[in-house]
Amino acid sequence: MKENISRLMDGEVEDAEFERCVAELRSGEAMDTWTCYHVIGDSLRGAHSIAVHGVATRFSARFHAALAAEPTVLAPPRERIRTSQPATFAWAVAATIAAVTVVGWTAFSMVDVPPNAIAKAREAATIRAAQAKPQADVASEYLLAHQEFSPAMAIQSGAPYFRAATVTAIEPQRRP
Amino acid sequence: MHACWGAPAIIRGMGAIAVLAAALASPVADAQGFAAQWMMRVTQAARTLNYSGTILVRQGARFDTFRLAHMFDNEQESEKLLSLDGPAREIVRSATEVRYYFPDAKVVRIEPRTIRNVFPSLSPEQTANLAQYYEFKLTPGGRVAGRITEMATFEPRDGMRYAHRFWADATTGLLLRSRLVNEKGDVIEEFAFTDVTYNAKLDKEMVRPSWTSVPSDWQVTQAGPGEFKSNDTGWTANKVPPGFIKISEGFRKLAGKRDPAAHLVFSDGLVAISVFVEPYTVTQTQIGLTQAGGLAQYSTRSDAYRVTVIGEAPPATVQQIAQSVSRNKP
Repeated sequence: MKENISRLMDGEVEDAEFERCVAELRSGEAMDTWTCYHVIGDSLRGAHSIAVHGVATRFSARFHAALAAEPTVLAPPRERIRTSQPATFAWAVAATIAAVTVVGWTAFSMVDVPPNAIAKAREAATIRAAQAKPQADVASEYLLAHQEFSPAMAIQSGAPYFRAATVTAIEPQRRP
Repeated sequence: MHACWGAPAIIRGMGAIAVLAAALASPVADAQGFAAQWMMRVTQAARTLNYSGTILVRQGARFDTFRLAHMFDNEQESEKLLSLDGPAREIVRSATEVRYYFPDAKVVRIEPRTIRNVFPSLSPEQTANLAQYYEFKLTPGGRVAGRITEMATFEPRDGMRYAHRFWADATTGLLLRSRLVNEKGDVIEEFAFTDVTYNAKLDKEMVRPSWTSVPSDWQVTQAGPGEFKSNDTGWTANKVPPGFIKISEGFRKLAGKRDPAAHLVFSDGLVAISVFVEPYTVTQTQIGLTQAGGLAQYSTRSDAYRVTVIGEAPPATVQQIAQSVSRNKP
């Protein structure tokens, strides 16, 4: 998770992964990590930091609340512009070194939303990937009979028929 | 917001009911009318506009692209979908039937069209569930396929369903991109136009099959999901997630199967989950869980019967429903 956050801050996250990383930020712990990394970065660059104890915590809490209310519109520009300036920062490295030295105390004092309640709840709702077979042998007969009923499918042009086209199980029927 | 958009009278009527319901009650009711109204607007746009474009479909790690042409003429939809990757697949939908062409296998499958012509069919109860079990938001969505969009977000309020994000053309209402997001935040299915053209002029050629008649050495398979008898099947699912209500029940003849299957459909206003019950035979496909993008299917054996549940829901939800299917107590 922490690695993802540092990659997110560096703009190294692909579009497909972006949603997941942002969703991760919804947990209190991840949000604190995010704030922490920014604080570390600010400190190392000598910028005036928001990491006065307590202020950072409140900032984190406010930011967390604001983020939770957003429909994930925390979108960075899709294309990352590489410049020759040393603008991008090696967050992961910085975090490793700095977290235990310069601003280590700040990081720990900010972790005010400890438990993994959200993660636990998600785990419970998720079946382990190993249990599910990776790709479609969803039987086409059931799919074809089912698909007309879904409102979410009905708003997609060409759907639900493209599903039928992508399901590999459509084979010549055995004649009864 | 969009009270009337040139929809048939019956649909405008339903819209009016939603607006009325919204006007009468609390902010929750307000939001519920709004979400349902948005769904109807986008559904209508997909049906009643003339357009063509390229569609990218991502299911898990798999990508497929399609060429789509859609025409609405004389109150009738016709549509042609052509796969651009892998073996050619052509699906042509007319007012009366759907034809699936599989040229590599030399098969054409013909199905009567049955249900979709009555859509949108959100009942007031489904409309209410939509607001109760999803948080709906409408925000500017940026550009998709060169068009300015609005983004609708349906965030589930529990772990029993997926999150949905829809980007619709801000001018025409046509859905240009949608994403299905699981409980971990992964995009498990994505649908997106990469380019779209709205055609003022109708061109019937664009929605005609590539084959004017079926070649003589092709196999033709007919019927399928068309045969459906609405009925009390004597089966019930005892553990359906809150918000899902039964919207259909009956016996259905599935192609390639001797005995008709009981078919129950549950919907929470956004997605549907189907339950099939049929006599168990050893030749049937495997028991267990399969997943294709946002679609999960779970099959289990219950005494002399085989229970299959399929829907755009998390595997755990589908599995739970399957394991709760039993005979109706009289």
